[in-house]
Amino acid sequence: MVQEQAAAAGANDAAPSAKDAEQQQPKPFSVKEGMQGIITLLEKAVKTKETRLLMGRLMRQTAMVRKHMTASDLVAFINTYLPMDSKSAGFLKGYVMQDGDTAPMEDDATAAGDAGDGADAGSAPGPSQLPEVELYMYLLLLVNLLDRKQFAQAREVADTAVGLLQQHNRRTLDAIGARIYFYYSWAYECTGALADVRSTLMAAHCTAGLRHDAVGQETLLNLLLRNYLAYNLYDQAEKFRSKAQKADTWRVPGQYCRYLYYLGTIRAIQLEYTEAKEVLQQASRKAPTCAHGFRVACNKWLILVRLLLGEVPERVEFSAPGMRTPLAPYFELTCAVRSGDLAQFRVVSEKFAAAFRADRTTNLITRLQYNVIRTGLRRINLAYSRISLKDVAEKLALPSAVDAEYICAKAIRDGGIDAVLDHAGGFLATRELTDLYSTNEPQAAFHERIAFCLNLHNEAVKAMRFEPDAHKRALAAANGGKEQMSVEEIARAIEEEEEDDM
Amino acid sequence: MSLLKEAQQLLDKLKTAHKKNDWPAGKAVLGQLRIKLIQLPAVPPNTGFSSPTAQQELLLARDVYEHAVLLALKSQDEAALESSFTQLKTFYADTRSLLPAAPQEWMFAGLDLLRLLVANRIAEFHTELELIPAEGMTVPHVVSAVQLEQWLMEGAYNKVLAAGKSLPPECSFAVEQLSATVREEIASCAEASYSSLKLADAQVLMMMTSKKELEQFAEQHGWAIEGDLVHFHRAAADDANAEQHLRLINQSLLYAKELERIV
Repeated sequence: MVQEQAAAAGANDAAPSAKDAEQQQPKPFSVKEGMQGIITLLEKAVKTKETRLLMGRLMRQTAMVRKHMTASDLVAFINTYLPMDSKSAGFLKGYVMQDGDTAPMEDDATAAGDAGDGADAGSAPGPSQLPEVELYMYLLLLVNLLDRKQFAQAREVADTAVGLLQQHNRRTLDAIGARIYFYYSWAYECTGALADVRSTLMAAHCTAGLRHDAVGQETLLNLLLRNYLAYNLYDQAEKFRSKAQKADTWRVPGQYCRYLYYLGTIRAIQLEYTEAKEVLQQASRKAPTCAHGFRVACNKWLILVRLLLGEVPERVEFSAPGMRTPLAPYFELTCAVRSGDLAQFRVVSEKFAAAFRADRTTNLITRLQYNVIRTGLRRINLAYSRISLKDVAEKLALPSAVDAEYICAKAIRDGGIDAVLDHAGGFLATRELTDLYSTNEPQAAFHERIAFCLNLHNEAVKAMRFEPDAHKRALAAANGGKEQMSVEEIARAIEEEEEDDM
Repeated sequence: MSLLKEAQQLLDKLKTAHKKNDWPAGKAVLGQLRIKLIQLPAVPPNTGFSSPTAQQELLLARDVYEHAVLLALKSQDEAALESSFTQLKTFYADTRSLLPAAPQEWMFAGLDLLRLLVANRIAEFHTELELIPAEGMTVPHVVSAVQLEQWLMEGAYNKVLAAGKSLPPECSFAVEQLSATVREEIASCAEASYSSLKLADAQVLMMMTSKKELEQFAEQHGWAIEGDLVHFHRAAADDANAEQHLRLINQSLLYAKELERIV
């Protein structure tokens, strides 16, 4: 890839474009060459119908180009790579020129010159008729507008792009199409009109399912879940998720992580904490290292779910790099729950009420009150072999001994504490402690770990990818060698025979 | 227009039936009203057709659904209650942008929460709770429903029963069922935590009014009454053992299967 770019640079040195002069600092990575590389990649991929190549490399290179791109660059690219008379070219240029920094006229001339040189050199592609290139231009413009926070315009561009996308049914368009839908939903979310988009996304999801467009299906599923959850429609989100068609394996790991996160939040709200914990842990582990915000959000929910399950998260998790500030409220909450102090818990939840509301975790935190009481009871139970109910009420800041009696009875029934109540005497007595190793606890703990390792092994096997023709090549090499040898041998043998005859 | 007038008349009839607590008559009128509502152009699911009387029609429809819920509450008809609540909720959601907000929306939300709580559908209770925004949380019905849920979860059953007497009048359907649920809960807690209890104490604990009630209750649950004490059974440990064995077998089979798969 680097050699190609260097060659292209060398060939185009003949016509120093105004573009290079405009770039203030000499960048080691030239946007123009990046674009040329991408367009070549696109055309090659479409010709060979290779969809996987598109996914990985294209997105990585787009990410690189995105950082350095300016409005004038965009205009130049549109002129170079889209046929001059196409409707899209005019439409796109209109949007770019609304807020272009420099005069576009110069760039037209120089871009035309570049295109000419490019055609001469033969290494840079010219205007292309492919719908992929067209839609890729839309994608670039969308990304640019969103980066500059011009959401209203991005919305309009997205609308047109989606309309155009729905006219085609090409598998090579899947990756680009999925991205376009993603930014379409994002533009609407930033302008606060997410509900309007729901029906379009739903229709697109059904179509993607019919066409076996796996990438599109995944992306749209996640976008719809996000849509429902943004409005707290957990019920509908769950119904959709359970009925939606999902592919067997997930093509894009990022989408899988997102799906797991949404699933985890739904389960947490529905009081199914064990499943929520599993799923959220998986999401957090599979997320790439650069997905910082996602990890933070995952961890917030994970902490709450673990607290609700009765386990206390480790202190190490809170002090991981970059996590300390966002997780600070949750850290204080954990301390309050761990100490079983109801008064402190109330103080902490009041103090950080705004933060919790922004994270939408307020209701979960209200549920934690019971856990605080239970932890408090457990500590009392461990410390005292026998304690009067009045003292229990005092320690837990409960209104009366009668309340304490009821609460203790419930805790005993739920298995939170191992004790017996004596009504006549009015006290709580701990039962004899049994040896932990004689119960089934160790076996259960082992089983969890074993199951996790086996699961990991299975997933690793499923995730392995082999080059589709690798085995054929190996086979051909082995056979070819043998055959050739045999042909030569036969020829030699015949010659020798003839000589002998002679 | 005449359609609207007819619908209005039927609604008035419905209101009178509601005041008189006359469920069969109310149900009949409701049936007729539903047909009228389908014919009105501006009411969902007919959205897309706008008509000059759109606002009135929507307000009318809302009144109809609300009264349907109130009637069902009075008559304690579970199935009707469920369906009318669903209709009302969907109607509120659909017309949120079309109509001015109704203050009674959150009252109905609170009633719905209470209904789910009493039926022990806690997962649905919480999903519904998520939908209520901050301003809805201050409405008395919602507040009492949330408080009740907290107390039930903590186990402060005495508070629950005390609060049951002080609920707003529409919630009367809930009180009886709530008391029954609470009593069952107390009974199972008591089984697990006390080895034996004096009769008088047991009566107070379970909030029963007479000794006879307690004796009946005890028979139902298989407790032995000896003289002055009630002895609670401890569950047999055999079932637990069988369960454990089954679990171990399943786990071992899983390990064998997975290990075989490793090539």
